[in-house]
Amino acid sequence: MLAAVVLLALSVAGLARSVAPGPTADPTQAVATGLRCPACQGESVADSSSPIAVSMRQVITDQLAEGRSPEEIRRWFVQRYGEEVLAQPPLRGASLLLWVVPAVVLLGVGTAALRTLRPRRRPVRWRRGAVDAAPTGGRGHRTWWLAAGGLVALVSAVAISAGQLARPLADAPAADPATVAVQLAHDLEGQQRYAAAAEMYREALRERPDDGVRLRLAFALLRAGDAAEAERTAREVLDRVPDSPDGLLVAGLAQRLTRPEEAPATLRRFLSVAPSHPAGPEVSRLLGS
Amino acid sequence: MLGDLGTTSLTAGLVSAVLAALLWLRVALLGAAARPARLASAATLLAAAAACALLEAALLGHDFSVRFVAENGGRHVPVYYTITSLWSAMDGSLLLWLLILCGYGALLARRRTPDRLRAYAMVVVSVATTLFFALSAFAADPFQAVHPVPLDGPGPNPLLQQHPAMGVHPPLLYAGYLGMVVPFALALAAPLAGPAGRDWVRAARPWALIAWATLTAGIAVGAWWSYAVLGWGGYWAWDPVENASLLPWLTATAFLHTSMGGGRSRDRWNTVLACAGFLLVLLGTFLTRSGAVASVHAFTESPLGPLLLGFVLLAVLAATVLTGRNRPAPGPGRAPLLSRRTAVLVNAVLLVTVAAAVLIGTVLPLLTEPLTGTRASVGPGYYERTAVPLAVVLLLLAGVTPALWVRDRAAALRRLALPGLAALATVAAVGLLSRPGPAALTAFGAAAFVLTGLLAEVAARRRRPGRAWAAILAHAGLALVAVGVAGSSAYGQADERTVRVGETLRVADVSVRLVSVHRGIDEGRMVVRATTQLSGTGTTRTATPTLRYDPARDTAVTVPAISSGPHRDAYLTLIAVAADGSSATLRLAVNPLVGLIWAGGALITVGGLAALAVSARSGRPRRPDPVDRRVPAGVAA
Repeated sequence: MLAAVVLLALSVAGLARSVAPGPTADPTQAVATGLRCPACQGESVADSSSPIAVSMRQVITDQLAEGRSPEEIRRWFVQRYGEEVLAQPPLRGASLLLWVVPAVVLLGVGTAALRTLRPRRRPVRWRRGAVDAAPTGGRGHRTWWLAAGGLVALVSAVAISAGQLARPLADAPAADPATVAVQLAHDLEGQQRYAAAAEMYREALRERPDDGVRLRLAFALLRAGDAAEAERTAREVLDRVPDSPDGLLVAGLAQRLTRPEEAPATLRRFLSVAPSHPAGPEVSRLLGS
Repeated sequence: MLGDLGTTSLTAGLVSAVLAALLWLRVALLGAAARPARLASAATLLAAAAACALLEAALLGHDFSVRFVAENGGRHVPVYYTITSLWSAMDGSLLLWLLILCGYGALLARRRTPDRLRAYAMVVVSVATTLFFALSAFAADPFQAVHPVPLDGPGPNPLLQQHPAMGVHPPLLYAGYLGMVVPFALALAAPLAGPAGRDWVRAARPWALIAWATLTAGIAVGAWWSYAVLGWGGYWAWDPVENASLLPWLTATAFLHTSMGGGRSRDRWNTVLACAGFLLVLLGTFLTRSGAVASVHAFTESPLGPLLLGFVLLAVLAATVLTGRNRPAPGPGRAPLLSRRTAVLVNAVLLVTVAAAVLIGTVLPLLTEPLTGTRASVGPGYYERTAVPLAVVLLLLAGVTPALWVRDRAAALRRLALPGLAALATVAAVGLLSRPGPAALTAFGAAAFVLTGLLAEVAARRRRPGRAWAAILAHAGLALVAVGVAGSSAYGQADERTVRVGETLRVADVSVRLVSVHRGIDEGRMVVRATTQLSGTGTTRTATPTLRYDPARDTAVTVPAISSGPHRDAYLTLIAVAADGSSATLRLAVNPLVGLIWAGGALITVGGLAALAVSARSGRPRRPDPVDRRVPAGVAA
């Protein structure tokens, strides 16, 4: 008995020790744990290895070094990304359902369990008739025919609604050869046949001299391994639109292969022109490494 | 050619499923001969098998004129992953789904003289089969012809080509999901089948056990796959698809407990839980296969969403209409607090509450998006504050089980004394020596409570076989999983740093030295490999974490290098490398006790199978009531 009391006291002490906050670990990590990585599913910024989480951790470290408090940093992130970025957004509106629904279910199911375990004595009336006896003769046949009709109607409903819901076919006018060529080139890229895709983009350019297509040509050339030609094509765009983010991106990536000493400048310019470009984090990583 | 045959087999399957439903209804309603209905069910299974075989043949033969092969096949894909690519995308996985569904149907129909309960149940199964065949034939035909025929395809998602578990995880999961259809069908059939329906729970239990055991194995293999492939170091992310597999598991677990011993006094509980299992499977399929929620696993946007939602609503309607008038038998009076009847229902209440929390957490983003325009986020933090504490209480409840196997109240309480002391000692020792956090500490205590009780029980009944063994195995597995989860989350350590070649990164007692960095192109994929020396507790081995970039799918895959020890794993991932190959960013994590999670999952599965063996040996389903014994024409002929 005494042993049990001592054990109880010791385990309460152990529990109390683990509830009390421990020595603070890495402050960056502490803030990052409270933020969700916007690019991943259900991972915190502290756990994720995606480029955006890496750069968010860097931001936290930088701001901590500037002397900001964790709460200020959190508010800064909320201003930029909205409350979505918090691992535990404040409960309000629909989010209250998160707690209300399980609570209601617990109450409801718990009451039902009590009813089952402590039944009130009362005569149970047994219903006789339709349920117990097998429908026979005409009634059974009628039910069967009804069910058969229902099943056929159900299958037809699926067939018809599937037709209605089917992906709308691309009803673009097939007459525009440039559109077709771009589409074909895109498919070829999907099959990793970049040289052929570049050829197809050139075809499209002949029909429609468009900078968007030219930039795709440059990307395809880059992937096909023709960095020099890719940079030249990107330059054509940059001559007209000096701040074209994609142009700067291709030019910079191509320069990494042709003239590595010029690449960082171009890529930095790309980052300053389009800081929120999807390729941004990757490029900053390239520049950083 | 293969494509035409495939479309034909889908049509044949649809027709024979409709026929099967109608013929089974004749058996149930009019007492017609069962033979034609059984033949129709067999034909449905044959059609599903043919469709799967044809699509596999098209995949293996690189027949890119078939849409599914053009979208998911590839000449560079190894044979094993070509076979598994059948279930790597929506339309093909629907065929596997159909094959398993028809397999369950054929098994349920195997008796020569089915009673009315099984005949009605077969109607329900056949209608479900019809709906899914219609879905495949009209909305997701993988055999559509492609013009012009491409020369090669992109191959399946690179994430699905990394780990051999891909070959077992989806089939096991589907076997678990679709097994739920039989208890659902029997619950719906019970009120229609008259006297034969009184004993539906006994008929449903073996099916629920099969479904539950395979689903458990599927979830465990899925967690292992996620740990070994996704490279983020964890095994469970409360991702919508993971939640969708957990939901039916929770209600099925509750059903396995309420249905013990026939469960007559809990008939309504059994009905609701058996229906909930399959309804949650359908709902999960809708959530994850329609593009409604974003997830790592979800397939892309498809027109199937509204149709699947229609199926869910139809099933809810059918379940409500058919079982709503089911009147439970009178209960046997008040139940004492420490009794199996109480424990089983408390268990069900807790499991259903966990399911409610997980469900609302999964669907809330869907519900709020149309209202507020923004996607409410539900992160792991929510589940850690709702589902996890309830799970710890459930574990404590599992520890009470040995006390329920004796009739005498005092003896029952005595049985809990030793486990209770063990739990307190564990909490005291662990809590004073380390800081695992309150949730993990309670989990350790609860696990000690369960395991000590079970060990005492094993010692007591060493040579006596019996029903209790299944519960002992499953509960012990549950405790092991709890220790693994709590241990790895409380004591896991990780560090991420950029190291130059020759430098060392150290975490706890594990150190890793970067030897070299290698970049290359492998079958059209960019591959970056870091060769490292991984040393821990006396041993040194080479570990090569890898980064793969697949331009065809624009996906990067991080392949971790895992070194599993008896009590901890060293988990090394390559985050990035310098362009000149002089340095690499590595993340080294030491995950203690992770192995217990897989071992526990296996033990729970074995427990389910043991319960199945016990119920197959001792509880042969009762003979049909004389009212239902008709002379089947098929046998007489």
